[in-house]
Amino acid sequence: MSASPTTRPRPGLGFDRFSGLYLWALIIIVFGIWVPDLFLTMGTLHSVAAQQAIAAIVALAVLVPLAAGAYDLSVGATVNLATIIVTVLQADKGWSMWPAIGVTVVACFVIGAVNGFVVVVLRVNSFIATLGAASIIAALQSIVSGQRQPLPPTSRAWSDLTQREVLGFQIVVLYMLVVAIILWLVLSQTPVGRYIYAVGGNAEAARLSGVRTGTWTWFSLTTSATLCGIAGVLYASLSGPSLTFGGALLLPAFAAVFLGSTQLHPGRFNVWGTLIALYVLATGIKGLQLVTGVQWLADLFNGVAVITAVAFAVWRQRKARSRRDAAASQRSKGTGSAEMDVGGVTPASGQQPAAVR
Amino acid sequence: MTPHEVVERASGAGPLPPSLLVRGLSKSFGPTRALADVDLRVDAGTVHALLGENGSGKSTLIKTLSGYHHPDPGGSVEVGGQPLQAGVASSAYDLGCRFVHQDLGLVDTCSVADNVALTAGFPTRCGAVRRKALRRRTEEALQRLGLALDPDTLVGGLAAAERTGVAVARALADADRTSVRLLVLDEPTATLPDTEVKQLLAVVRAVAASGVGVLYVTHHLDEVFEVADDVSVLRDGRKVVTTKARALTRRELVEHLVGGELEEVSAASGSLPTAHAAPVLRVQDLSAGPLVTANFTVRPGEVVGVAGLTGSGRETLLPAIFGAIPRSSGRVQIDDVILAPGRPDRAIAAGLTLLPADRVRLGGVMSMSARENLTLPALRALWRAPRLRRRLEVAQARTWFERLDVRPRGAVDAPLGSFSGGNQQKVLFGKWLRCAPRVLLLDEPTQGVDIGAKAEIHRQILSAVETGAAAVVSSSDYDELVALCRRVMVLRDGRFVAELSNGALTVAEVAREALGSEDRAA
Repeated sequence: MSASPTTRPRPGLGFDRFSGLYLWALIIIVFGIWVPDLFLTMGTLHSVAAQQAIAAIVALAVLVPLAAGAYDLSVGATVNLATIIVTVLQADKGWSMWPAIGVTVVACFVIGAVNGFVVVVLRVNSFIATLGAASIIAALQSIVSGQRQPLPPTSRAWSDLTQREVLGFQIVVLYMLVVAIILWLVLSQTPVGRYIYAVGGNAEAARLSGVRTGTWTWFSLTTSATLCGIAGVLYASLSGPSLTFGGALLLPAFAAVFLGSTQLHPGRFNVWGTLIALYVLATGIKGLQLVTGVQWLADLFNGVAVITAVAFAVWRQRKARSRRDAAASQRSKGTGSAEMDVGGVTPASGQQPAAVR
Repeated sequence: MTPHEVVERASGAGPLPPSLLVRGLSKSFGPTRALADVDLRVDAGTVHALLGENGSGKSTLIKTLSGYHHPDPGGSVEVGGQPLQAGVASSAYDLGCRFVHQDLGLVDTCSVADNVALTAGFPTRCGAVRRKALRRRTEEALQRLGLALDPDTLVGGLAAAERTGVAVARALADADRTSVRLLVLDEPTATLPDTEVKQLLAVVRAVAASGVGVLYVTHHLDEVFEVADDVSVLRDGRKVVTTKARALTRRELVEHLVGGELEEVSAASGSLPTAHAAPVLRVQDLSAGPLVTANFTVRPGEVVGVAGLTGSGRETLLPAIFGAIPRSSGRVQIDDVILAPGRPDRAIAAGLTLLPADRVRLGGVMSMSARENLTLPALRALWRAPRLRRRLEVAQARTWFERLDVRPRGAVDAPLGSFSGGNQQKVLFGKWLRCAPRVLLLDEPTQGVDIGAKAEIHRQILSAVETGAAAVVSSSDYDELVALCRRVMVLRDGRFVAELSNGALTVAEVAREALGSEDRAA
């Protein structure tokens, strides 16, 4: 007997898994026809790719803890702090480039380690823990910067770090791809990735399967902060230190990750889906900006995207659950789990998912 | 019986129609009949106890009454003389049925008054809650049940019986409370300490005294004799008896529950060799939650059963051994390794595995594929830097699908959640067999699993044990224990009260020990 189609819902054309790519093509065609001389240029391609490269690294930083079921809302603050530390060390303290970068990345690693400690050992909900951490990090940044925008370092090596081109693209695009490939390898090709997804999927079941859930949650938050350190260093080299850049990245990053979880491997936060989502959004925003010339489109787009993506993901889960319930009622007995224990008429029975029929 | 006759009889009934009148109710799931032609009558103002082993159809009956299941055509259900619309959830409520489930559905962080008012509605003036009126109303509702609770106490701080009382008060509290005809209590005492059961039974009596019919589902025989007017017993989806509780002895009740014809001898396990090797699992003075103390050893090649009612400590025994839940004291040893408490990863490394009872919540990661679930505990064997050997993993998953007869056969990459319960359980079972464990802890290994999958899992348990592993099976299905195990240990009130083997190991004997029937067969 071949695999029954009811258990493997895979639409034929892959509109589900590859909808982002179709949408991307559609956006390019529409704007290509609408404003061909502005939109269909190598300049547009290069600028979209480069402008979004650092946002992409931050999105990947958000992705790792989300895969493990933890929110990291401190990414924006960590990026800001990194830009300030790496600049102050070079411009004010006179450090050379590589030690400054090293210390910056280590400082961010420490931030992640503390986040992980708060979430894993103190058992503070990650949403609250990293929200609080973001505020603390913002205070640290003020202390380090002395509440003024530091002057950018003047060394040649520093500007060469990012202000170079490879095949017409700024080199940050290459850096971003390297980060993406490494993360993809780790998340989808190694046991570490399996453990992280297992913790995100069902932490208690993962623990009972021998997965060190605390360790991997800690690891994911630490990875996230370290990636933010790298993103901050690259941004400081590319555009100079910033007190505000990171904060503006938070929502687009979450939008990309959630939207990305509907792509390629639906239901799973994944690296390439995230990048596709990020660039689809960026392309659409770029096109509309070229047409209309207004700046507020990015905010509007990202807000709509994050809500739509999560609503879509919830809808998918509900569909999957109702399929599972249908399968369950084919069986002779209940599963004995709370999920099957359907409430009669008490109001709190609404807490049980199966009662929402 | 034709529908006409049903109507005639109902209209011909006296001035007080029965609270619940079930006639010829059947419910099939595919080819299996979970309920077959069940009649049941609960008179107003009486307590009717409903008993039955797991899988006897009790929960199907309740779910049919509550409108969750759509019954097979032919039967009828009337509440207070009015026909219940089959499969419509609001119909049961409108006719005056109220349900209190084992999971009470109370909001711990809200006060008693607020919890009650969630159903009955808050008394308000200009949109603001009238606190005094709410307080008074709640006090009245509680007093009717003989509960002296402060309505402002948080529900989270109450004793277990009081919480159940609040749930009952909430179920009965209504704008128009004369409309409540039938209260269904689904194993309200399963998790109550003995000392609190009496308090709850008083509440149940008070409810009946107010003219409401009570359908009282329980496992505990003592309560039947204490509180019930009538008793019905379900077995294998059929009602085997309805009688007055006074006219019944405890022994007769046990026989009705277990059924005389089920006295089978242990089948497959009879041929298993009991090794003379040193014990592979040693449990000493283990205590955790309701489990007071447990001492036992298991040798390689043995399948040991654990029986006991809900709340006897049976549910906590295996998780506590494994380290899934904390233990308050005791020592667990696999061969020479003493296990650290609360460390499933070390337990697995030492060769101990646990198949949890709650498959969806604890057993597997439903969003991951069957393949990923299968390989999760022992991924290192597939790891050759820098990548997992995907092709080898798929091949292994296919082999296990083949070996355990998981269907659909080709769907190794489908999410675990998309499989049926039996096939999910096979995958999770395969996940542990793949680790080549020394000891398999199996908690309700075939709960909610169809007959074919059940037989397959039993075969696999026996074949794993033949190769030198040991297994501890905890189950509420006594047939399963007797068929699988050479010896069965019975827990009652947190202690092992009996160890049955050889001729003494029968379904009836296990049930008697678990229920604590004094006048047991010689």
